[in-house]
Parts: sequence; structure tokens; C-alpha cells
Amino acid sequence: MSGARPETPEELHMLAGEYVLGVLGSAEMGAVDERAPVDPQLAHAIAGWERRFAPMLTAVAAVAPPDGLWARIEHAKAQAVDGRQRATAPPRLTVVPSTAAPPPAEPAWQRPAATRRIWPWKAATGASLALAAGLAAFMLMPSLAHRTEAPMPGGRDVAFVALLAQPESPAAPHQDASAQMASDTGLARLVEPQPASSTESAPEAARMTGFLVAVWPDGTVVLTALSPVPLPGGKTLELWIQPPGATAPKSVGKLAAAGQQTTLPAMPVDGTSLSISLEPLGGSPTGAPTGRVVYAGTLRQVRR
Amino acid sequence: MDHPAARNDSAVSLATLIAAVAGGDDAAFRRIYDLRASRLFGIALRITRQGPLASDAVQEAFLQLWRNANRFDEQRGDPDVWLASLVRYRALSMMRRSGREVSDEGLPEAVDDEPDQLARMEASSEAAALRACLDKLPPDRRTLLTLAFLDGLSHGELAARLHVPIGSVKSWIRRSLQSLRVCLEGEA
Repeated sequence: MSGARPETPEELHMLAGEYVLGVLGSAEMGAVDERAPVDPQLAHAIAGWERRFAPMLTAVAAVAPPDGLWARIEHAKAQAVDGRQRATAPPRLTVVPSTAAPPPAEPAWQRPAATRRIWPWKAATGASLALAAGLAAFMLMPSLAHRTEAPMPGGRDVAFVALLAQPESPAAPHQDASAQMASDTGLARLVEPQPASSTESAPEAARMTGFLVAVWPDGTVVLTALSPVPLPGGKTLELWIQPPGATAPKSVGKLAAAGQQTTLPAMPVDGTSLSISLEPLGGSPTGAPTGRVVYAGTLRQVRR
Repeated sequence: MDHPAARNDSAVSLATLIAAVAGGDDAAFRRIYDLRASRLFGIALRITRQGPLASDAVQEAFLQLWRNANRFDEQRGDPDVWLASLVRYRALSMMRRSGREVSDEGLPEAVDDEPDQLARMEASSEAAALRACLDKLPPDRRTLLTLAFLDGLSHGELAARLHVPIGSVKSWIRRSLQSLRVCLEGEA
């Protein structure tokens, strides 16, 4: 793992206390944000300090927010709820700090678990998977371009794409599809991949489930279920990321079965693996996948 | 104004509202804004000292509430603690990114000269316990904690503000945190 972990529980509590107090610098805060989701003890210590210090906040005078703030929130929410709403970009009433071009990432341990459907996608057959995925990415792009208020540093185009498919199904076509999406500048002009397998009957081979993944240059990631994902009772999906060479996957957070928009803890590189496992409703209790990996795939950089 | 009871009265319904938001209830989302936007904006403004930045922090916190409402029950007991945390981290993150930590510009006014910043704290038992434990700290250490937690000053800003080495600030804060934890855990 990265960095030296505090050796004693006391040091862990001190780190959590400093984080909650807000005295850490940007890099130190970021390090805690990265670590907390995979370190339940740290997350628990943070929650403890938040609870202890919370009464102090009642000493802060309430101040009425400016008129128009609610309208801004509603507008931003509407865009987050349904990517198809092509509303005009919200009025930019304020400025962000000049050094803060990308929207700040949420603390990772607070992240996950939106239940809203980003894109209600109906079943896509295997034969048209690449086309469907490309089309989805193409259609998601304009809506996502409207989504953020701050300009994206790397432009508004998708930086990485992946298709997460069932590991037990033939992997090659999906890899091909990811690579092809990445290399195709048009994204929607995709050709069909090779047939998945000649040994399976056509309808079975064509019935695909999985997730289309698109990552934007600011770390925003949109996962879209290609067809309804069957979830056993008492289970939830959890998304994991593993850069090439990393020894273990890190949790990105729980994932709604229909897909969702979230933020990656760090920008991926070409070849970064994503996987989705079945976990208890509260998410993995250990910080590592505890259930079956139901979908997996590799992010490919889009080259223009 | 100072109606501490009002917060407690609505605490139960706030949790219910968050649960409704998790189910996509727009009206509940609006209701939470009506109930808490002023409080959260006050918290953000105290840290950012700039209305536009405070607005951004509150907006992002509410979007996070909308996206993550279904996560609330699992990890947080008190809905107000959760909401306040959302907005505080957004505001702190903005301030760190804007580079205030390396500049004196935009530092809060000398609010620490006020005799008792925490006089307006609510009258709950949790607040009383925290208050009692804070009062056991030397006054300057208490000031450090309020400047950090309420005003969002970093280690570096506190050092510049108090004209002491950053190492001293760090060790004072750690010792204060240790005392507070022993004190509060002991009373629980």
C-alpha cells in the first residue's frame, strides 16, 4: 500500500481528529480521503470525531443563503438525475477559485450509492453490443458536458471507456469492443465485434448483461447498466478499481444496479481494471471484495 | 435565532426526510433545504468567508445529499452531523485548493478575540459534555480548536496566525485531541 500507516490506534485517532478538525493541507486531506474507504477503522474514527465536535457547529450563526441558490441546486440535480434532459447550462452565479478547475472530489468514504438511474438502458444484444455502447457514450456526452459547472481541464470528451462483462463469458470480444471504442474517434461509428462464441446458441450468446463505463478528464465516471442486473436479496453491487501493477483493488463505492455517476479517487491509466462484486447491503466490510465478481473489464484510453 | 430546541424537534423528521430523498422524493429534498440551508450556509460562510464560495459548498453538499441519501443510515447516526460534514468538507476542500493555506489573504477576522465563541452552543447533553471537556483545556488550545473546526484554518494558517512554529501547532492540537477524547469517552 502507499504511505506509512500510523502504527497505533492512538495515532489513527489523531489523524482522524486532524482530518475532521480541518487542519490538514490539501495533500494530507486527499490521502485520508483515499484511505478511509478501504480502512474501516479510520472511517469509524472519523465518524467519532464528527460526532464529538458536532455540537460546536451550533455556535455558528445561521445565514440565509442567497436567492437563487435553490434554483441552482435544482438545476444541477435535474441534470444529475436524467442525462437526457438537455437543459441549457445553469447560470453560473459564482466563481470557483482559479486553481480549482475540476470540481472537488467527494471524500471517497462518503461517495457511492446513488440510486438514480443515469440512463435507462434496455437490453442490448451481444451482436450489437459495441454499437449500443458507442451510441450510449455518444448520447451521454452532450448531457455530461452540461453537467459540470466548472470547465473540465481536459475538454469535454470522454477520456477512458470500458465494457464490464461477466468474467465467465468469453472476454475477447469485450476487450475488442473497449479497444475499438477507444480508437474510434466517432464513438458512434462502431462496427460490430466478432461473434462471441460459435459453440453457444445464438440467442444465448446474444443476451448480454454488463456495464458501459465512460470516464471524463475530471475523474467523473458514468456507469450504465446495459440491461437490468439481477440482484440477489440482501446484496448490493460494489465497484472496484485496480491500476496496472497494483496488488489489490480499491473500492470506489457501492453501485446502483441501473448504473450511476460517481467520481474516481484518482485518474485511471490505460489498462486500469474495473470490477463489480456482490457485497452485503452495507458494502464490503473488509475493504476488499468479499463476494463474487460479477462484471469486470479494462479501461482503455480514448485516442484522438 | 437561538432556539436550540427547534433543531432537536426536527431531528427525527430530518432523518425521515433523508430516507424519502433516498427514494427520489423531490418535496422532501426541498423541505431539507428549507429547514437546513441557512444553517449550512452559515457553516460554509464561516469557513470560506466568501458568499459565492459558500454557495458553491452548499450546492455541492446538497447534490451529494441527493446522490448519497441512501447511504445515510448505514454510517451516521445524527442527520445534522452528516449534513454538516458534507458542507464542511466541501468548504475546506475549496479553501485548500484555492491556496489559502499558503497565504494570509482572506484569513478570518480576529474572531478569536471574542471572549467566548462557544457561548451560543446549543444546550444539549452532547454539547454540555463537549463544553465541559473543552473548558479543561488551556484557553489558547481551545481557541486553536475553534479556529480549526469552525473557521477552517489549517496547521499552516494557525501557525501564521499565532506566530508560532507549525510544529508547535501540530503538537498542541494532537495533545488537545488526546485530552478531548479521554475526557469525552470517560464521560460516556
